[in-house]
Amino acid sequence: MEEKVLLAKAILYGASALGAGSAMIAGIGPGIGEGFVGGKAVEAVGRQPEAAGIVTRTMIIGDAIAETSCIYSLLIAFILMFGDPFGKLLLGS
Amino acid sequence: MEGQMIRPVNYIELFRIGSVPINLGESIQVQWLVVVILLVLFAVLGRDLKVRPEGVRQTLAETIVMFFKNTVKDSMGAKFKGFTPYIGGLFCMSFISNLMGLLGLRQPTADLSVVATWGITTFVLVQATKVRTGGVLSPITSLWKPAAFMLPFNIIGEVANPASQTLRHFGNLVAGLAIGSLIYSALGHFAVFIPAVCSLYFDLFAAVVQAFIFMSLTMAYVSGADCSEE
Repeated sequence: MEEKVLLAKAILYGASALGAGSAMIAGIGPGIGEGFVGGKAVEAVGRQPEAAGIVTRTMIIGDAIAETSCIYSLLIAFILMFGDPFGKLLLGS
Repeated sequence: MEGQMIRPVNYIELFRIGSVPINLGESIQVQWLVVVILLVLFAVLGRDLKVRPEGVRQTLAETIVMFFKNTVKDSMGAKFKGFTPYIGGLFCMSFISNLMGLLGLRQPTADLSVVATWGITTFVLVQATKVRTGGVLSPITSLWKPAAFMLPFNIIGEVANPASQTLRHFGNLVAGLAIGSLIYSALGHFAVFIPAVCSLYFDLFAAVVQAFIFMSLTMAYVSGADCSEE
């Protein structure tokens, strides 16, 4: 019985770590998106240097909104790593 | 995996109702500190103002007030200028709360309940703006505009806006907290230069940006709820 519980825990923690890692694949999207936003902002400043202030401000807001999906996946990864939600459900510990 | 990466939350037990303890959580304690800081700061800045500003103190006070006045006027329009004190208060509260990480305290904004309170306040303000500009029924009737098939999307949007706004702010701050402790535990005794650089990003840059974003989104949602036909 004890061995089975140990095996279950091992599988659970391994799967949680794998899940946390693969949740962070979502970092690709915002990475590309924010790079695109930054490149376009550089173009805009190059074309119209006197608007640099407002372009930068708008760029930072756009970046932060694009970042949201990455933040969601990061939260999920943290919950899987440190929150141990399935262990509580399965083993009652 | 079982190790406690993020420091547990401190609390003071105030009293018990039956067997239910009523606790004063750490985020409330730090928020009171933030309130005291803001009160002292603005009491000092706003003391004996002159028509012709002398010295740095009054110039700084006028810069802060004009920043909020201009931001609200530019993004919400002159119609909503009554929101300036609320927006300014929200920004100052969020900003100083985020900066508490620099003092080694746990930021109140890394607590979901604190940020969710602000998100729900935004939701209430949006509904109140709809009632004020379009009549009592407009929170419901605006759900099937511009067309009836938009009803499910509008309902989801109505709930998702405050939720995403809340989770963005909370997620950024909590990510900073967790990544900071991960870096410290990974470096062990050699934590010299790298944590400072990361702290510069997570505690300083993210603090300013997230406070600004939260303020901008609140302004966008509230002024977007205007139902009156011009």
